[in-house]
Amino acid sequence: MKEFETDYRHAKPGQGGPGVVDYLDLDTKDQTFLDSTELVLNMGPQHPSTHGVLRVILKLDGEKVLGTECVIGYLHRGVEKIGENRTYTMFNPYVDRMDYVAAVSNGLGYCEAVEKLLSVEAPPRAQYIRVVLTELCRIASHQVWLGTHALDIGAITPLFYCFRDREEILRIFEKYCGARLTTHAFRIGGCLYETYDGFEQDCKTFCDFFLPKLDEYEELLTTNRIWVKRTKGVGILNPEDCIALGVTGPVLRASGLKWDLRKAQPYESYKNFDFEIPTGLNGDTYDRYLVRIEEMRQAVRIIRQAVDGLPQGPIMAKVPKVIKPPVGEVYHSIEAPKGELGYFIVSDGSTQPYRMRVRPPSFVNLQALDKMVRGLLVADVVAVIGTLDIVLGEVDR
Amino acid sequence: MSLKPLLRKILLVDLIKGLKVTFHYQPPSEAITEQYPLERPVIYERFRGQPRLNSNPDTGESLCIVCNLCALACPEQLIVVKGERNPATKRKEVVTWTYDLSRCMFCGLCAEACSTDALELTQDYEMALYSREGMILDQAALERGQEPTRYAK
Amino acid sequence: MLESIRGYLSTDITPGSAGSMFWATIYILLITIGVSLAVICMNWLERKILAHMQIRLGPMRVGPHGLLQPFADALKLLIKEDIIPQEADKLVFWSAPVVVTMTAFTTFLVVPFGPTHAVTDMNIGILFMLGISSLGVLGIIMAGWSSNSHYPLMGSLRSSAQMVSYEIAMGLAIVSAVLMTSLQTGTGTLSMIGIVDAQNAQQTWFIFKFFPLGFIAFAVFAIAMVAETNRAPFDLPEAESELVAGFHTEYSGFRWSLFFLAEYAAMLAVSSIAVTLWLGGWMRPFPNLLGGPTWDLAFSFVPALTFFVLGAMCLLGTVRMPKIPQFRVQTIGLGTFGALLGFIGLVLLIPAVRDRVQDIYWFVAKVAFFMYLYIWYRGTFPRYRFDQLMKVGWKVLLPIGLGVLIATAVWGLLPQLSSAILGVSQ
Repeated sequence: MKEFETDYRHAKPGQGGPGVVDYLDLDTKDQTFLDSTELVLNMGPQHPSTHGVLRVILKLDGEKVLGTECVIGYLHRGVEKIGENRTYTMFNPYVDRMDYVAAVSNGLGYCEAVEKLLSVEAPPRAQYIRVVLTELCRIASHQVWLGTHALDIGAITPLFYCFRDREEILRIFEKYCGARLTTHAFRIGGCLYETYDGFEQDCKTFCDFFLPKLDEYEELLTTNRIWVKRTKGVGILNPEDCIALGVTGPVLRASGLKWDLRKAQPYESYKNFDFEIPTGLNGDTYDRYLVRIEEMRQAVRIIRQAVDGLPQGPIMAKVPKVIKPPVGEVYHSIEAPKGELGYFIVSDGSTQPYRMRVRPPSFVNLQALDKMVRGLLVADVVAVIGTLDIVLGEVDR
Repeated sequence: MSLKPLLRKILLVDLIKGLKVTFHYQPPSEAITEQYPLERPVIYERFRGQPRLNSNPDTGESLCIVCNLCALACPEQLIVVKGERNPATKRKEVVTWTYDLSRCMFCGLCAEACSTDALELTQDYEMALYSREGMILDQAALERGQEPTRYAK
Repeated sequence: MLESIRGYLSTDITPGSAGSMFWATIYILLITIGVSLAVICMNWLERKILAHMQIRLGPMRVGPHGLLQPFADALKLLIKEDIIPQEADKLVFWSAPVVVTMTAFTTFLVVPFGPTHAVTDMNIGILFMLGISSLGVLGIIMAGWSSNSHYPLMGSLRSSAQMVSYEIAMGLAIVSAVLMTSLQTGTGTLSMIGIVDAQNAQQTWFIFKFFPLGFIAFAVFAIAMVAETNRAPFDLPEAESELVAGFHTEYSGFRWSLFFLAEYAAMLAVSSIAVTLWLGGWMRPFPNLLGGPTWDLAFSFVPALTFFVLGAMCLLGTVRMPKIPQFRVQTIGLGTFGALLGFIGLVLLIPAVRDRVQDIYWFVAKVAFFMYLYIWYRGTFPRYRFDQLMKVGWKVLLPIGLGVLIATAVWGLLPQLSSAILGVSQ
């Protein structure tokens, strides 16, 4: 194949052709008069702090970062291609595997996108159940983020505390749908499983158990001078850059923009609940930390309201056994814990989609890494990657 | 800086608060580790684990009527069912029933599709084997279920 | 020869001061074995205590409750393949861990476990300890250089820069304490035993002297000693193994275990300095407030009590072991260990043993408290970035150390100063 003849990894600058980044030709305007030898350093795919298999090529001037390039694709499994060869019902379990930390929200986005294509709406009870599980999933995802982020910065104990809370959530998932991680909780048209006996009680017990724990984590980290020194002013992203790069989720909100799809384009039954959108002031790592902690508190608020107001009724809409949506395309996005998770499905009238495109939040957020780490020290790169909250399963699909 | 924050900074109050939290969790009663082979986890009813072919408890014959719905529902197409019609009872009976456990993702679509409650995903999760060939289960293995070696009797 | 050996026993000075080679060697052997045992204990304790702080259990399988884990680790490290990088400077590569370990152990020559329980009592004791531990930095640079690899070199340079910066703060805090030794007698002393004797004579531990100056000096030293030994929250050079790897990356097997041994021995050494200078060394708590023979008797039972408590914990663990045949050996082992601890406790009740063991026990208990603090810090605090670390050392601890030094000097000389100012003749 002619266009791949030149192996771009060994190409000289300018030789790669259109669309190829010459990583050795990064912006070098920040060099000082005392030009020390620049170092091209590889934070390789196997790395304790890159949250998966991510390769980050850093161009360093001593300790300062001049530029970065991310090399991804180590976890590419061809999920979108698989989607073109499975029926809509069959593809449901595959979406859990993309953002494997928060599988429930992936399923939610997919089911809603297909329901939009079919022009059906899940019944109210199913919507409430979906909201409860999605908010629990948000807390679970943020707990993984908190634990691993603290671990990267050096505080080794919050990881275990966070995973203990996550255990409680995964237990609820197991009781509800039969699996802890790859939940396959929802079906197109509603939910398959009715809530088990004690579902409401379990959720309430979890909420009561969890809020004091959140206060404990704040006591451990928020005012800790070492934590503040490591995260304040590190990785600042201003709102204009956020919008230009397409960054969404807590990263966007910490920069100051109050944009959350649950309020801006309400889906499911979110308009029935009363909750707030936390925003930050400076767009640095500390603000992102505070925003996510507050989001967990608001998630508990939503869960309590949803569990109290769970309506009676059917849990599955009238959807045919063999799903053949009309010809057309749909883009539907939800506020996943990491940002805007979008599904663009093109249907050609058959049982299998023509194109199943996923817009993963981590993939788009990762592009902001370059902008955030210019001028920072090497130790901060790790903190910034942690604060973006990327999951490589989503980035690579 | 006013007095109170200054005092907090000098007397390292924030660091001591953090130390209190970790001190609090020290007693072994707070440890949440399950020492696995000794203490097995509680598995809930809806858990999607090892598949099993159920039989009629009274007559002992398999509940499977070879409708092939499970094979059609599986996203990985790893179920292969072959049956032939029994002229006496006018029902299909299983000849070979194969389930490839190595490619299964335990999504549960097959058990959902089964029309007679024959195929069920049980709560067993200890499915480790020494060979790949052993992961392809036939009808006898599926009806028997698992027999893992017990570490502690 | 036999006379010289027996002759020493009737004196009450350290063997080094008495010039008795034989007893000095015995003491050296005892201390080396003691420090190694302490490091083994520390290994187990660190893993268990850190695990419990992280709401998990730590090693449980290797021996009952993981008690044999350090031995398993040591055995594994000993039988590992000895890998030397091809381009490495072989002599320097071989000798770097030796240098670090030897300096760490040599500092224990002057550490006093009691009024006569030290190998020798140099009159420059504390200076000797500081000097020898500074030599350890040389070993680290040797390790980084000889590895012939970019990242260990940078890591070792960072580590040594950190250690050197915090030694200054340590030195200033030490001088403050040494100043206090001259208060009563008019002449100060650098000798470790002399410093504890000065605390005894002045009837307060130096941490409480001139409150809060003694306490601030102690705090400065406590923070500087954590940074000196490259432990959390100052462990960037060794934990940031992602990009700039620690200086001991290329070392595996027994060589690495020597670095590990040296790190823990250095921790014990600086804790011994802290205990000797500020916490009264081998003196029991409240020697004056709760003085008198009855209190002495009561406090003398504490060592035996400690061992009884430990033995009781072992026996509790034995009772709670799973009652299945696979655990029989472990249960018996733990029960035997508990019985052994109880037996040691009983031995410690004998009056003759009780008196001799008092000093050693209190010294070791205080050092153990510092070791617990080390583990506690590791479990709680995030890491400082390297530039922030250096800022803390130079911009925070150094000025505070200087300030405390000047304030201590002024306070100590206050009678003379005030009389000089007021013109009253002494």
